[in-house]
Amino acid sequence: MDKFEQWQGGANTLNDSTLQGKDPDFDAWLGQQLQFNEPYLDNDGFCERVMAQLPAPSRRAERRATRVQYAAVLAASAIVAWQFPFGEVLSEAVQQSISLYSLVGVGILSSLAAMTGGILAARR
Amino acid sequence: MDLNDEDLIRRVVEDGDQRAYAQLVRRYQSQLRFSLRQLCDGDQALADDMAQEAFIKAYKALPAFRGDARFSTWLYRIAYNLVMSHKRKNAPEVDQEAVDRAQAQESVEESQQLGMARDLNAAMGELSEAQRQAVHLCMQRGFSHEEAASIMKLPLGTVKSHVNRARAKLQTLLQAWREEVVNG
Repeated sequence: MDKFEQWQGGANTLNDSTLQGKDPDFDAWLGQQLQFNEPYLDNDGFCERVMAQLPAPSRRAERRATRVQYAAVLAASAIVAWQFPFGEVLSEAVQQSISLYSLVGVGILSSLAAMTGGILAARR
Repeated sequence: MDLNDEDLIRRVVEDGDQRAYAQLVRRYQSQLRFSLRQLCDGDQALADDMAQEAFIKAYKALPAFRGDARFSTWLYRIAYNLVMSHKRKNAPEVDQEAVDRAQAQESVEESQQLGMARDLNAAMGELSEAQRQAVHLCMQRGFSHEEAASIMKLPLGTVKSHVNRARAKLQTLLQAWREEVVNG
């Protein structure tokens, strides 16, 4: 503490220019020193303790989030359906003499699988 | 993905997304706990309790957060209010054991620090509590004078005066170190 004690006596005699604090270099240096000396406090379960005490999110917010997710999945499905070449697939199916019922069944099942996957992904 | 405070707050308020709030807690826990330790005179357990309460209170009040100030300013204001109100209620009771424990721990750490850090701590100890808080908020945390005034619930002029007086005192006390840095 040599330097501190050496200058401690002078602290009581502050002149006007020092009081006005017009030394940006000193400000920057002091800010750096203060930050350099600050340790980072590990989370150490702090965040988990806070989260455990939070009230449950409102039902309204949850419902709103679910509606947004369903809307996103529906919009994605609509785009896929719009781009899908149903006509070509149908004519190909007729040419290959695939049963229309099995084709519709496969289509519905794939759509359901895609929508479920989309919803699950959005929820995660 | 590292979202900014505004986006995280929007997710919490609009979607009830608590994971977004957890991200905010992780972002500010160290700074806030460190600041409150100083405000609680080294009582680490009390400071952590206050920080925890501040985060919970902020979560509950988040829908009313208008975004006029930064989230950190708003959070600090809540935390400072909690500590001050706790101090008012429990003025005579100081957990001396906790303070002694913290100080003992600090002195071990201090012995390992450089002389500069030791002298800086000693110089900070020469300031009044209000000056120390003002310097901590403005020069260590980077809050503006206006933000510090709103956190400390003091007039702007008073905060400026605290900062100026503290700066002048520190400048005199740490002059030798400064000269050493400047002269290489």
